[in-house]
Amino acid sequence: MRNLISLDSLTDIVSNSVGILIIFAVINLIHDNNKTFQLEIPLEHNTQLSPVFFIAKDDRILALDTDTIFSNATLQATSGAAGSKRLFSLDFHGLLGKIDDENGISFYARDTQDWPRFNQLQKRSSELRETMNNIDGQKQFAYFFVYDSSEDGNISGSGFEAFREAREFLKGKSVKSGWQPVNSEAPANICDKRYRGGCQYLPSYLGDG
Amino acid sequence: MAMSRATRLARYPKEEKLEVSLFPFLSIFLCVMGVLSFINVLNSFSAPQKIELTAQLEQGYKVAYQIFSLPDGIISVPPVKYLDKLRDAVEGIDQVAITDILQRRQNAMFRLENHNGPVMRLATEPDVDDILQAMQDIRTLNEIALKANYLYEEFLLFGIYPNGSQAYQKIRDVMSFTQDAASISIGLEPLDANWTLNLNKNTN
Repeated sequence: MRNLISLDSLTDIVSNSVGILIIFAVINLIHDNNKTFQLEIPLEHNTQLSPVFFIAKDDRILALDTDTIFSNATLQATSGAAGSKRLFSLDFHGLLGKIDDENGISFYARDTQDWPRFNQLQKRSSELRETMNNIDGQKQFAYFFVYDSSEDGNISGSGFEAFREAREFLKGKSVKSGWQPVNSEAPANICDKRYRGGCQYLPSYLGDG
Repeated sequence: MAMSRATRLARYPKEEKLEVSLFPFLSIFLCVMGVLSFINVLNSFSAPQKIELTAQLEQGYKVAYQIFSLPDGIISVPPVKYLDKLRDAVEGIDQVAITDILQRRQNAMFRLENHNGPVMRLATEPDVDDILQAMQDIRTLNEIALKANYLYEEFLLFGIYPNGSQAYQKIRDVMSFTQDAASISIGLEPLDANWTLNLNKNTN
């Protein structure tokens, strides 16, 4: 005589699970359709703090060493490349620069391969983390130029995720941050407010500061 | 002669039990369960999420004028829901000014709410005159509220979608040339492409 295992109870359990899942799915769908997520948006504030600039692109973040960049740009300016509004190499992580009266110095980021990935913020000994740790929240704030280009069907801009992660990291260290979206046609630029009204780099934070 | 037990059993035909195999049934159920779970997970990742921009810690009397910047242009969502109360709190020419602004905004919201198809297709190229008008309206409302000592202040919140920075930069350029925008608080946030805006909450 064969000893058959009864599947009745197992079928019963599975049927119940499927039923509950269907109910959950329907409730979830109805709930999601009515649900609105409220995004808390920090507001720009005037400040006496000085900006530390970063570029976020392709899930990577580059800290702009303005001393190095400006001295390299000055060398180029004296050699004539900068004066003719041509792109010139800034000898800084593949960045190209352009100088004009309206936009000041613009940064064209084409090759980002040697920029640190934003997930290096989670590694204790990473250079990116070190750079952000060195920002003095009492005197400085971080300002990000964030690339908004989205390729290969991504739902997010190429620098959005990196910026969000860095902003959270800095918030944990009580360092304020601000940002502006950029793209290859209107790239990151550092200019002087005296020459152009829109040249402002402000930190954004919620009301409690 | 007594029949042996074996002979007696052999005389009766074996009882035929109807045995239904439950394996195909189980298999179908498990497949359904798997597909449902998969759809559920997929739904949570890709389904559009309705969003509303706020500055939570500053809300109360501060009201957001939302502008969503997309690759094809902008969608402006002006606040209308507290303007009735503000109008009741003031008198004379200020009341007329608020009525004008409210009318303009209600018309804009009517167009947004009565569209056919996805709301994100309503993006239009930012028009310089419209931007200037919006800035002037915000400034006017803020000044009227301040004069009447009424707790109401509008500020601008930009939602920047992927490839949407061009329209945003155009608006900021225009804003840098008008004095109306100088006193307006501004916030901006990067948004993912699957986040869609909620229009009903702004009018109800």
